[in-house]
Amino acid sequence: MAKRRWDSVQIFSAVSLTLIALVIFVPFWNAVVISFETADAYAKHPFSWWPKEFTLGNYKYLLGKGSTLFEAYKGTIIVTVFGTLCEMAISVMAGYAYSRQFPGKRFFFVLLLITMFFGGGLVPTYLHYKNLGLLGTYASVILISLVDVQKIIIMKSSFESIPMELQEAAMIDGATDMTVFAKVMLPLQKPMIATFTLRTMVAFWNTWYWPTLLLNGTNKTVLQLYLKSFVSNLDEEVQASTVFVEGTQFAQGIKMAAVFIVMLPIMAVYPFLQKYFTKGIMVGAVKM
Amino acid sequence: MELQANKKNIWREIWKARYIYLLLAPVVIYLLMFNYAPMYGIQIAFKDFKARLGIWGSEWVGLENFEKIFSTPTAIHAILNTLRISFGRLAFEFPMGIVIAVLLTEMPGKKVKKAYQTLFTFPHFLSWVVVGTLLRNFLASDGAINQLITSMGGESVRFLGTESLFRPMLYLTSNWKSMGWEAIIYMAAIAGIDTSLYEAAEIDGASRLQRIWHITLPGIKVTVVVMLILAVGGIMNSGFDQIFNLKNTMVYDAATTLDIYVYDLTFTGVPDYSFSTAVGLFKTIINLILMLTANKVTSMITGEKMFG
Repeated sequence: MAKRRWDSVQIFSAVSLTLIALVIFVPFWNAVVISFETADAYAKHPFSWWPKEFTLGNYKYLLGKGSTLFEAYKGTIIVTVFGTLCEMAISVMAGYAYSRQFPGKRFFFVLLLITMFFGGGLVPTYLHYKNLGLLGTYASVILISLVDVQKIIIMKSSFESIPMELQEAAMIDGATDMTVFAKVMLPLQKPMIATFTLRTMVAFWNTWYWPTLLLNGTNKTVLQLYLKSFVSNLDEEVQASTVFVEGTQFAQGIKMAAVFIVMLPIMAVYPFLQKYFTKGIMVGAVKM
Repeated sequence: MELQANKKNIWREIWKARYIYLLLAPVVIYLLMFNYAPMYGIQIAFKDFKARLGIWGSEWVGLENFEKIFSTPTAIHAILNTLRISFGRLAFEFPMGIVIAVLLTEMPGKKVKKAYQTLFTFPHFLSWVVVGTLLRNFLASDGAINQLITSMGGESVRFLGTESLFRPMLYLTSNWKSMGWEAIIYMAAIAGIDTSLYEAAEIDGASRLQRIWHITLPGIKVTVVVMLILAVGGIMNSGFDQIFNLKNTMVYDAATTLDIYVYDLTFTGVPDYSFSTAVGLFKTIINLILMLTANKVTSMITGEKMFG
């Protein structure tokens, strides 16, 4: 094919998108570079494209004695694995149930919808978890975000888009609703389930607000919580000028090392799984 | 006779649907235990909550806590600041998704386009704790941007530590994190436009700009309107996660929104559970009205309700 010349709109879009790409990319790259830099080199060349004096000092400090990073990783993995399993199971079952006709459907659906607009609010919810004795448990972190109404509604419409005849045919063959659900409907919904599983995992991986309150004052922690308290502790130490800059490691470097380690798993999988992430929002968009 | 037959029918219907109820049971139990049960605590908004007396034992005070909202300058400031930030977001964040979508559609080069899309959508999947730490460092007085400014002879800027700059920085950092993701919805809408329209326009000699203006933008109009209404419906939420992770003591006024205010009331200083619950309830009710209105307007436009 003959190469056509780009017109001005194409040039404009390519140039402006490249600028935006740089603006998004540079802070990430800057963080990675700083995390591998020594304090001296950073003092001389604060903005460089490559570590001038490569070191693992910042990472060593981060993983050094008294570090709760592994605890935090453990906590996040527990919450992510069990949270995703439970949420997906509950939501898929609910999504399928709501896609069917049964006595009282309207009532049960309104029961679900109301929670989208109205809830106990911050203090009553917190007190409720306290009264149930759930404070300081990973279970509380999972429970607080176990049901996402929007997710269930999208699943409901996804199940509804499968022709009824398919289910009826199986029913005539003597299958129960349970068998139809497990043997006919679930296999057909694999792409939708894959998308939602990924997004649920990311949501649990990133959870920080409720863990801040629910795990407060206990030895349990999750990654985001760890990052937040680690950074603010470090800032306090810097302000109190406790000596910890020792030739190689330095505050910014250690902070960026922490950021890098916390976002590494998502960074590692995202480019390969991107299309599954995007598919989810398409489903949501179409259903609007 | 007939009534009895009907009654029997209902029981038969219910029995027939027994497995459906079984599948529904977990979510219903969850909703009752963790969404509806905490609602009994809302009564403390109408009480003078004392931890030692408990929720039931505390004294009723009527609407005192709600009246207090309108006689507390900080509360009024928080409400107004929330609205100000929300309108700022509508003006400076909402259009960006559309802009990115149109630019990506027009940009030639399939591979680069794909790579850009991956990069643009990636930050959306990071928490504000990560993004906040990253950007605070990047924008700090000794961070990369300021080093660049000072090395060129400029004066260092406190991007996140200046009241007047804090709100614009909110829009900027929010765009940094999410505009690529917002664009995907519009990309899908653009992909749904009939390609023969573009071919016909090309034959008629329409320029690319004319095609964008007369085909692309009208083609995604409904999506834009729906997204806009949704955004207006959420106007009382001003992005707690972002503000909480970017704020500092230097920008107290600019950073105090309703959500932040409720959080501060509850967890800092001498906690005032009753007042904070009242402020939260006030926000929830306004949100409820806005969302229901948004739902109504959207269903009028698209002929389809969002929520059942």
